[in-house]
Amino acid sequence: MRTILVVDDSPTIRKMVRAALGSLTDVAFIEASSGLQAIETLAIHPVRMVVLDLNMPDMHGLDVLRFLRSHSRYRNLPVMVLTTRGDDTSRQAVLEAGASSYLTKPFSPSFLVSSVRQLLEPEPNQPAP
Amino acid sequence: MTEKALPAESAKTQTYIVFVVAGTSYAVPSHQVQHMEMVERVTPVPNAPRSVEGVVFSRGQVVPVINLRARFGFERTTINQRARLLVIQHGNRTVGLLTDEAREFITIADGSIQPPGDAIGNLSGGYLDGVATLGQRIVLILNIREVVESTPVAAA
Amino acid sequence: MSDRDPQFESSFMDDYFAEADEHLLAIRRCLLMLDAAQGADVPPAVLEELFRSCHSLKGISAMVELREAELLAHHMESGLRAIRQGDVALDGGNLDTLLAGANALEAVIVAKRQGVPVPSEELAIAALGALASSQVAVRRPPADAPDSIGNARGWTVTFVPSPELVARGVKVDTIRARLLEFGKIRSVTPRVQAGGGISFEFDVESGDEASLSALRTDGVSYESLPLPVSPAQADAAAAGGDPSTSPRAWEVASGAPGNFVRVDLTRLDDLMRVAGDLVVTRSRLEDTLRRVERHVPAREFRSLQEHDSLMERQLRDLREGIMRVRLVPVGEVFRRMPFVVRDLARDSGKRVQLEITGQGTEIDKFLIERMMDPILHLVRNAVGHGIETVERRVAAGKPPDGTIRLSASTVGESVIIEIADDGAGIDIAAIAQRAPAKGIRTEEGVLDSRVLLDIICASGFSTRDEADRISGRGVGMDVVRGTVQELGGTLEVATEPGRGTTFTITLPLTLAVIDAIIAHIGDQIFAVPQSAIQEIIEVDPGSLRSLEQNELLTYRGRALPIVRLGRLFHISAAARPRLHAIVVGTGLSAVGLLVDRVAGHREIVVKTIADPLIRVDGVSGATELGDGKLVLILDVAALSRSVRERRRAGERALV
Repeated sequence: MRTILVVDDSPTIRKMVRAALGSLTDVAFIEASSGLQAIETLAIHPVRMVVLDLNMPDMHGLDVLRFLRSHSRYRNLPVMVLTTRGDDTSRQAVLEAGASSYLTKPFSPSFLVSSVRQLLEPEPNQPAP
Repeated sequence: MTEKALPAESAKTQTYIVFVVAGTSYAVPSHQVQHMEMVERVTPVPNAPRSVEGVVFSRGQVVPVINLRARFGFERTTINQRARLLVIQHGNRTVGLLTDEAREFITIADGSIQPPGDAIGNLSGGYLDGVATLGQRIVLILNIREVVESTPVAAA
Repeated sequence: MSDRDPQFESSFMDDYFAEADEHLLAIRRCLLMLDAAQGADVPPAVLEELFRSCHSLKGISAMVELREAELLAHHMESGLRAIRQGDVALDGGNLDTLLAGANALEAVIVAKRQGVPVPSEELAIAALGALASSQVAVRRPPADAPDSIGNARGWTVTFVPSPELVARGVKVDTIRARLLEFGKIRSVTPRVQAGGGISFEFDVESGDEASLSALRTDGVSYESLPLPVSPAQADAAAAGGDPSTSPRAWEVASGAPGNFVRVDLTRLDDLMRVAGDLVVTRSRLEDTLRRVERHVPAREFRSLQEHDSLMERQLRDLREGIMRVRLVPVGEVFRRMPFVVRDLARDSGKRVQLEITGQGTEIDKFLIERMMDPILHLVRNAVGHGIETVERRVAAGKPPDGTIRLSASTVGESVIIEIADDGAGIDIAAIAQRAPAKGIRTEEGVLDSRVLLDIICASGFSTRDEADRISGRGVGMDVVRGTVQELGGTLEVATEPGRGTTFTITLPLTLAVIDAIIAHIGDQIFAVPQSAIQEIIEVDPGSLRSLEQNELLTYRGRALPIVRLGRLFHISAAARPRLHAIVVGTGLSAVGLLVDRVAGHREIVVKTIADPLIRVDGVSGATELGDGKLVLILDVAALSRSVRERRRAGERALV
């Protein structure tokens, strides 16, 4: 059972992400609606990958990402970042902060599924090449 | 029992519920009919217009009942076992139509329906959407909007 | 992005609308606060929340392909960013632009919800764009207005989450909410701990160490910091004593997660219906109990009765509980009024103050949605037609600012909403003149408030001939009254020339169940709400005296007007030696409703009668008596009013 953490302050978006990923087998979901909640959840639950929104109330998604990447435990955790069309955060900044992949809202569900599948493939604890 | 109308140019068909008022058969599209039920008693509403029989309680809702006999200008009769209440949906209004009997579901092809001519039986053309000829039988397609909206409203 | 899935997106529309509503509400609330704070420093927390709401709205609008909303939200965001960075000032003009943007956003979403073509809000977008790109160098807003609370000290509060704490319901958000209750949080930082775990470090300012130490059992440790505490800054709004704009309120507004559940109204309707069915079933049970009484040993029967009584009480609690879930504060409707008043006053060059009281008064959610437009209309009227221009007011010796009072209160089983203005009052003479043209007959020189209301609410009645952008008066009053009546309420008006006008809306608080008296007239049965009844008296028909069209009964030393309901309702009934009169109203307005007999009292579930086909004067609803029979509920107020009027007409005819 692989757990995916969906982080977005919009319940509608969280619902859409889960629905879009509904075709994945052997997958469970946890939701968080803020950066702090996301970090807390990661501290307590084993999570296989994260879908992370950027603009959140208490902590910006990029700050969450940078924090995670600074921790050996989460350095290789697959994180897919969701940005919003017309955002002022550049693709460059997102990738430099350590995103494994990113998607812009509005996203197509099939695109999301295939990207997530790719990210779920390799085991996260393999030694970096 | 389902009757199929004779095939005509257009293959488009619709299901209708057929009911009888004072010997004449009428039909309404089945999708407009919420449900049908037997009528036990209708609570009269004081000072309501003549063709409004009163109200009934149907599936938790208070539904006004239009007596179609009275509406179409016929004499009222006592409500018996065969009488049926057609509860129809019109916009966001739920209204009951009191009929002498109602039993059939039929499918009528759009092509079998002609526009109503003037003065068919007792009705002016306004209440009818059309006239369907099914073999030997004539069924008048009722325009529900006309019936519901032009029934005089209670003086408030 | 290729390969979109419209079907996927459209299945989330309900969620979208629900969430969009919340964001729109937050946007309006923030704009209101910004408006109130004008002149003072721009409060950063409010701007932040406003910015976030627009951003979130942009995101979800993009996801459901509502491009117009996405664009508007995006432009709102840009404008707010410019303001937040201090590049642009938040003056009246810019605030208007933001307000127009909010209105446009709402219009787009409402249109989508109703399935009508979505308006293209180019004007609003253009204005927002101009705002964002205008560069007026402005003093940068203070980063975070330090606001100390008495002897506040600085603390570093560390929270370490764990599965055990989560199991107990203690999470980082709960800790944050509790800290906000007695302190101010300057920042939160996640940290990696030595053992590889995670902790959250709160930078807190508070004078309440006791509360802080109480958190120690919940994974919290703290130590004090030498934190420079700046002298308390007087906040202009706070000095004005307006709690809604105090700094504390801003922070709380953007913060604590509530203990709430989003509920679908139709589910509540279902619950209400089931509760109603339970009431009916219990009534039937009571009937059966009465019938079997003589067959059951006394002790057993008493026990049955006790259980029945208990069930009745428990059902009542259940019903009330469900109805309370549906209650929302009237403030939800009132919230928009300041904007409306502001815009209209500005457009018409008048000066108007809006006073709101009783926003906390609760009312059924269904009623609130229906009352939105009527109240809006009445407020618009008050500004457009009630309040005079500044010149006229000053000339009349009134203060230049007109006042509109919007209030809500609960009285007994009703909610009373008042819209009062201190303007010129309704020009009764002008209206009386127009009445005959509308087919309304009035008596010479007599225009009581009810007839006045009838005239104003007649469809198509308007004291101005062209459409009036400000209020469209007359076109809407018939809808206002119609809506209020449909909801089982009443609309009244009181006006004084030169002093002002007050519209009073009375709505039933509880929609569902009331105590009622069952009355028989001929072979028909009616229900009369207990709350309207003063007394029930036995009447010997021979003791009734006739006076012109009316019958009177000597009652408590006075002549009580009697109305024979059987006659009024055209129900034929055999003569009876004894009748019952249900006395309603008090003192001079008391009236006796004559029925054949009163057959006891019971609780009834009220069903509204909505269809115009069956809306008659004197009937306010229907109920099922537990045996499938539908029984009409009498509108006592309407009946006694018509009796009084006939009586007055009769008395005048005598003079």
